[in-house]
Amino acid sequence: MIANPLNSSELAFPILECIHIVGFALSVGTIALVDFRLLGIGMTRQTPLELARDTGLWTLAGLVLMAFSGLLLFSSDPDMYYNNIPFDMKMFFLVLAIVFNYTIHRRAVLSGSGGVREKMVGVVSLALWMCVIFGGIFIGFVNPTLDINRV
Amino acid sequence: MILSLALWVQATAFFTYLRGSAYTYPCILALHMVAISLFGGMILMTDLRLLGLAMRGRPVADVIDQLRVPKRFGLLLAVTCGVLMLCCKAEEYYYNPFVRAKLSLFVLLIVHTLVFRGSVYTRAAEIDRAPRVPGIAKLAAVLSLVLWIAVACMGRGIGYIEPPWGIHAAAPAVQAPVLETPRS
Repeated sequence: MIANPLNSSELAFPILECIHIVGFALSVGTIALVDFRLLGIGMTRQTPLELARDTGLWTLAGLVLMAFSGLLLFSSDPDMYYNNIPFDMKMFFLVLAIVFNYTIHRRAVLSGSGGVREKMVGVVSLALWMCVIFGGIFIGFVNPTLDINRV
Repeated sequence: MILSLALWVQATAFFTYLRGSAYTYPCILALHMVAISLFGGMILMTDLRLLGLAMRGRPVADVIDQLRVPKRFGLLLAVTCGVLMLCCKAEEYYYNPFVRAKLSLFVLLIVHTLVFRGSVYTRAAEIDRAPRVPGIAKLAAVLSLVLWIAVACMGRGIGYIEPPWGIHAAAPAVQAPVLETPRS
C-alpha cells in the first residue's frame, strides 16, 4: 500500500475543495450564462453564439481545474467514494452534462434561432449541472457503511 | 447579546427541525453552491472583463449593466441559504473563526462597493470611451477577485472547525442512521 501524500497534510483536502469550488464557479457559471441567454435572460445584447465564443476558453479552464482537483479529492479515499451512491449519480450527471454541453447544447447555440427547442436545451443544461452539484453535496451526507451493507 | 440571540434563534422550532433534517439541510447547502456557481461565474466574468482577460470584444458596459440584476438574484439566493444554515448552528458558529473571517470579508466587500461603485461600476460607459481600462477599475477587479475567492475559501473552512467544549449545543445534524456491522 502506497501512502497518498494528500493524506499526510490536514490542509491538502480543504485547499483542493476551494480550488474545486472556484473551478465549478468558472465552468458552471459560464455555461449558465449561455443557458440563461438561450432562455432570453441576462446578456441579451449578445447572441448565444457570441457569449459561448467569449466564455468557451474559460469554461474549459474551469472544467480542467474542477476535474483535476476532483480527481485528487477522489484519490484521498477511493473506497469511500466507490461505495457512495450520490458520488455515482454525480459522475453519471457530470458525464451527461459535459457530453450534452459539447453536442446538443453546442448545436442549439450555433443555430441561434431562439425557439422553444433552444429554450428547452437551456433548461436541460441548467438542470443537469444542478444535479451534478446536488450529487456532490450529498456525497458528504451519506454514511458509507449503509452502502457497504447493501453491496 | 449576539450570543443570546444565537441561542434563541437556533432553539426555534424551525431551525431545530432544519438542523436535524436529513434532506432539507443538504438541499439548502446544495442550493448555496448552485448560487455560488451562478453568482461566482458572473463575478469572475465581470472582473476578468475589467482586467481585459475575458470578453474583450464586448463593451465593459454590456457586461456590467446586463449582469447587475442577475448578480443580485444570485447573491440573494446565496445569502438566503447561507443565513438559514448559519441559524441552524448559530451558537457553535458564534465561536467559529472561519465564520468570523467570512463575515469580516463581507464588511470589506461592502466597503469595496462603497468605494468603487461610483468610480467604476456606474461609469462603465466612460471606461469604454477611455483608450484603456483605467487603473482604478483594474484595482477594483483584482480586489473583488481576491475578496470573493477568500469568501469561498473561508466558507469551506467553516465545516472543519469542531465546536468548543461546554457550549449548550443542541443535537448535531442528523445524517443517515449508522448501522454498525463488523467489516471483517
